[in-house]
Amino acid sequence: MPILQSTASALALALFASMATAQSGASPLVIGASTPLTGTVAHYGQHARWGAELAIEEANAQGGALGRKIEIDFQDNRCNPAEAVKSVSQMLATKKYVAIFDGLCSSAALAIMPLVERAQVPFIIANASATSIAEKSGVGGNKWTFKVNPTDASMLDALIRWLDKDGKTGNIAFLGEDTDYGRAGSSGLEAALKKQNHQLVMTDYFQKGTADFTAALTKIKAKKPSLLVLYATDADFQNALRQWYTLGGGVPLTGRVLVDQVPKEIMASGFLDGTTSVQPYDPSIDTPANKAFVEAFTKRYNVAPMLISFESYETIRILIDAMRRSGDGSPAAIRDALATTKYHSMLGTVLEFDPHNLVHNDAIIFVVKGGKVMIVGMSKT
Amino acid sequence: MDASFYAQLLLNGILMGVIYALVAMGLSLIFGVLEIVNFAHGEFYMLGAMLAYFLTANWGFSYWPTIAVVTLVGLAVGYVLYEGLLLALRGGGFERSILLTLGLSMVLQNGAVFLFTTTPRMMNSDISYINVFLGGLRVPVARLYALGLGLAAFCVLYLTLYRTRVGKAMRGVAQNRDAALMVGINPRVVSRLAVAIGIGLSGLAGAALAPVYAVHPLMGFSFVFKAFAIIIIGGLGNVSGAAIAAVMLGVVESFAGGFLPLALADAIAFISMILVLLLKPQGLFGRGVRI
Repeated sequence: MPILQSTASALALALFASMATAQSGASPLVIGASTPLTGTVAHYGQHARWGAELAIEEANAQGGALGRKIEIDFQDNRCNPAEAVKSVSQMLATKKYVAIFDGLCSSAALAIMPLVERAQVPFIIANASATSIAEKSGVGGNKWTFKVNPTDASMLDALIRWLDKDGKTGNIAFLGEDTDYGRAGSSGLEAALKKQNHQLVMTDYFQKGTADFTAALTKIKAKKPSLLVLYATDADFQNALRQWYTLGGGVPLTGRVLVDQVPKEIMASGFLDGTTSVQPYDPSIDTPANKAFVEAFTKRYNVAPMLISFESYETIRILIDAMRRSGDGSPAAIRDALATTKYHSMLGTVLEFDPHNLVHNDAIIFVVKGGKVMIVGMSKT
Repeated sequence: MDASFYAQLLLNGILMGVIYALVAMGLSLIFGVLEIVNFAHGEFYMLGAMLAYFLTANWGFSYWPTIAVVTLVGLAVGYVLYEGLLLALRGGGFERSILLTLGLSMVLQNGAVFLFTTTPRMMNSDISYINVFLGGLRVPVARLYALGLGLAAFCVLYLTLYRTRVGKAMRGVAQNRDAALMVGINPRVVSRLAVAIGIGLSGLAGAALAPVYAVHPLMGFSFVFKAFAIIIIGGLGNVSGAAIAAVMLGVVESFAGGFLPLALADAIAFISMILVLLLKPQGLFGRGVRI
């Protein structure tokens, strides 16, 4: 009887152990994401989420990675560094994530970087563009952080080089949000202008959520700069643009102008003619992969993708590519696989991370002419 | 800098000040009669703007019918708010009113995020992109209409408070609730009317400003804190004081923004509030009695 009991116990134990092994083999690879789902840039957070989820849905339809399903958990960071730290700390403490995704806002991403380094989990940034992220990553810095978009400095450098060909860079004013994004814009612009022996004639920052820009815009008009660099997003951009329109403008805009979000009444009026902008993406880019993405995204969410949705989609695809090549799906193996990425971008370039774990497509330069946005060049960044 | 620069700053400041006054007057009235600081006031302003947006974008309403409908809905919401929530606070202490209105603000704001998402919407009414020229100055018609509505609202409110029996009753309840009751004034009816007018004014402000600013669920937040500063500067519960303080602040902010960094201009409301609290705690126009 004791022999029978021991045998039954051993069999039960073996069965339990084999079931546990099978379950762990099929357990999903889970990505943790911190992005603004509420707060002043929640609209962008929503697009970041849609882009990431679409890429994951498509990957899972093709069998996931390493025979396992891919999942993503989203936490809200309100575009606030303290909330970003809270959200990622909670995620890292409660679940085994194979990677952390995005942050979206530069200040949030910078706050997350030390956490992932301590936890030794790769952190892949799709949207935050502050130059200091790449400066602090890779060689001599945070080896767990990877950034998949151009820095503000490199984009503005490309834009200023392009503008300087027509001698337009002599008298530029800057108006930007008082965040790491805006600050990176003004410092990147100053550095780019310095190379052409110019400097900014005026710099001013506003609090995110500012509704009225009339005083600042009146001041800028009175200074008569040759160009105004506008570093504003979301509702701030809409308010600043409409008020600039009602004040009569008179100074062409440049910088990271969100030309795809300009109200059609203002665009069609020709008011923005002469505006230039530099961005890493535009939905109209004519490649088969981009067309397929725009079509799939629009069909899935009933809205056209924007820069944020594209960057999130492509960044998650790069991460999934690394997961598939990682062998065991562990965070360290995924980090090593990310470092050796050779990814064919939807925009036609081949992307490989540089020593600062930075990778990106070329900058696209736009000009508004006759009430229409035109791509006038792709500049190496 | 030429004279037109100063004139444009002055004009911008007056327009901005009247916009502040539209939001602050309702807040001041509710505090004056009920001694309740309505932290959800900015959310009613936001809901007014949202309703105006949907009336024009989805149902094809033009400007004036939109203003009328939103103001009437605001009055009705104020009535329901008083009967449904604020009445329960009767004699319940100042802290409870803060917690209740703060909670209501969160529910309304997050409810709007859930229902409408945070996508900024631009209301395109027939006046959204039209300017008039006063000398060399450009004035957006939408702001000019907001100015007119603000002045009209102030005049109507002033006349109601100081030239009608209802206004006298409101001032009576504000000054001494028990004495008002003893002379036959029903504080419940008067308070309900004050809340209805206050929320109606915030709805009017939202509808008037929807063609001026981007409409989104978080738009009330920044306005309401500035409105708090204004009613403290003007004298808590003093509706005329709030209106005058709002215009003064609009002009000072505009000139500060014209010469100083924007971030400093934004701080002026709160620096002024602190100075007033230190030097004249009852406010610039406080008379020791409310309304």
